[in-house]
Amino acid sequence: MSGTPVTDALRILHLFPRLLGLNGESGNVEILRLRAEWRGLPVEITTYDGGAPQSFDDADLVFIGSGPVSAELLAHPLVVAIAPELKALAADGRPFLAIGAGFQLLGERITLEGGEVLEGAGVFPVTTRHGGTRVVGDFVLESPRLGPVVGFENRGSFVDVGPHGTLGRVVYGRGNTETPGEEGFWEDNLLGTHMHGPILANNPILADSLLDTARARRGLEYTTPDPGELRTIDERARHARGTIAAAPLSE
Amino acid sequence: MALRTTAAVLVGRAVRVAARLRGGGSAIPGNIALKIDPGFLERTIARIPDGVVAVSGSNGKSTTTNMLAAIIRAHGLKVFTNPSGGNLPQGIASALLSEVSTSGRLDSDIAILEVDEGYGTRLAELLKPRTVLLLNIQIDQLNRYHEPDRVAVMLGRVAAASTDGLILNREDNFLVDLDTRIPGRPGRAVSFFGGVPSLVDGASHGVASADRFGDVGAEPGSRPAAVEVIALDGARATLSIEAAALPAGSPVADAPAAQRTEIQVKLPARGMHYALDAAGAAAAARSVLGDRFRPELVSQALDSLETVYGRGELLEVDGEQIEIIMMKNPASLQLNLDSLESAPEQVFLAVDEGTPDPAWIYDIDFSALDHVDGITGSKAWQFAVRFGYLDIPVGSVDLDVRKALKEFLARPKPATGHKVMILNYEQMMLIRKILGFKELEGGGAA
Ligand SMILES: [Zn+2]
Repeated sequence: MSGTPVTDALRILHLFPRLLGLNGESGNVEILRLRAEWRGLPVEITTYDGGAPQSFDDADLVFIGSGPVSAELLAHPLVVAIAPELKALAADGRPFLAIGAGFQLLGERITLEGGEVLEGAGVFPVTTRHGGTRVVGDFVLESPRLGPVVGFENRGSFVDVGPHGTLGRVVYGRGNTETPGEEGFWEDNLLGTHMHGPILANNPILADSLLDTARARRGLEYTTPDPGELRTIDERARHARGTIAAAPLSE
Repeated sequence: MALRTTAAVLVGRAVRVAARLRGGGSAIPGNIALKIDPGFLERTIARIPDGVVAVSGSNGKSTTTNMLAAIIRAHGLKVFTNPSGGNLPQGIASALLSEVSTSGRLDSDIAILEVDEGYGTRLAELLKPRTVLLLNIQIDQLNRYHEPDRVAVMLGRVAAASTDGLILNREDNFLVDLDTRIPGRPGRAVSFFGGVPSLVDGASHGVASADRFGDVGAEPGSRPAAVEVIALDGARATLSIEAAALPAGSPVADAPAAQRTEIQVKLPARGMHYALDAAGAAAAARSVLGDRFRPELVSQALDSLETVYGRGELLEVDGEQIEIIMMKNPASLQLNLDSLESAPEQVFLAVDEGTPDPAWIYDIDFSALDHVDGITGSKAWQFAVRFGYLDIPVGSVDLDVRKALKEFLARPKPATGHKVMILNYEQMMLIRKILGFKELEGGGAA
């Protein structure tokens, strides 16, 4: 926290952990940190909850989580206030992981249930419409890049990602649209999804992919690429995905 | 009408007996009775002379309902109450079945009912509570209610139904000013319970109230408390109780400082949340009984209470005491973990789809554990991943509950303390059944 910053550390920017962290999503940041640190790459985490403007220029990886609509409305002006900085980071190839309300706020537009329209930060070329039936339950995707991606879905909104790439095809659950089809947004360094909670816990390959993008930009290496503790955890996560995918449930 | 009630009572009772013999499913008889006579619950409840007290909130409903019923009984009233967990209409109807006469009459002065927060609005219409006691709004069952704000709205409707008394936890972010956010009602007395700041702040994870965003009218702790926890020593607490409001026109009604009495009470186990439950029960009794309320009867009533099972309960299995920690929601798990004296020597964990999305385990401080011996239930692997990142060693993961349980129980008795099982509600029920404990929904000595 104090003293000279470690210059060869990977720097993670965690946006609005207080407002947007309802579903254990700070676990994603902890998982990113541990997966890098256990491989010998130090990590520095900066959090931003609004308030005095600060420079985000150092951020190698950006995370923003989800929250209830009340928190989303409060976070909205704070996100818009830093939109130019965030767009610059995205354009420069820094990886983003944005979940739920955070994903919506980093999009171009959100239409609320009452019809009001909020302008988003414009980092992701997507629009969100609140309303419709809420879906709550296990969520199973098939990603062309990663294979099965498994987690939990809890949303009352639809996302239009246009012709862009997605995280994967929906195998169980709803996904972006009324008709189950595709889930989330994933192109280049930008990953947004409504797979809530600690998505990286069940899907460590996603965490490693984000870390790899961040490391490549900085030219940072792992000293111990394959530590035993991660192998144990990843084996457990494989079982967790298998258990959910074998008998997915929803309300 | 009367015939229909009799039929509902008789059929419901027969089903109840059958269900008990099979060892479970106590809501079924109530469900059937309500199908035969849909007005059964509403009509029977409406005849209770002193009306209904509804107890709701995310956490501590059963414990507090149990405490309040005991306090009111100690004052000489005949109390009808619902057993732990039977807090939906069917559960309440089932409880009624065991106590009404075949004509549907209930021999009770007052009903003290635990009410599920999700059914609050419907139950408030049905039960027309005169008094409402609200305990807390915590991150609870998000898969079910989606957002704490929605729980706040639902509990606001329950609160708005109260005609005589509304008792609120002033330490809760949402409840501290709930009275100002619902329509007022002449004749409704609003009072608060809470704890002195040193105890509230000192509880290692506060009182785990859900964060509230925007539109904050009052800071938690800022309202004067009719009952305040002023000291905590193990499983004993000291409550400071303000004398009940004197009837209007009495000579000392405008005395400058309200008189306070200090009493000692026994809690079900260590923990500030239990002390707040006791304060809430005392404050509700004070509100209901008015000048009939005697603080010393609170101590007497709570001293004689048995623990409601599922929270710090000890089960005896083959002569060995096993402590059950129920993982109802993040707040209850955190508080129960915090109340462990030291890391248990032997720990077993069982969680299934009754906890559909255990994402919140990434917000829990598990430092009270230094290892876990066995994990089972369909969510076992997700917990194993969590413990991996926490560097908490895990002995074995086996989704076969019977096998995993058998293996854990076969371990030699720990050198200190007892075996600890951390279970979600569904696994607690299943494991009790496996171990041969019959009374599945009974719970909580009256
Ligand atoms: Zn052990």
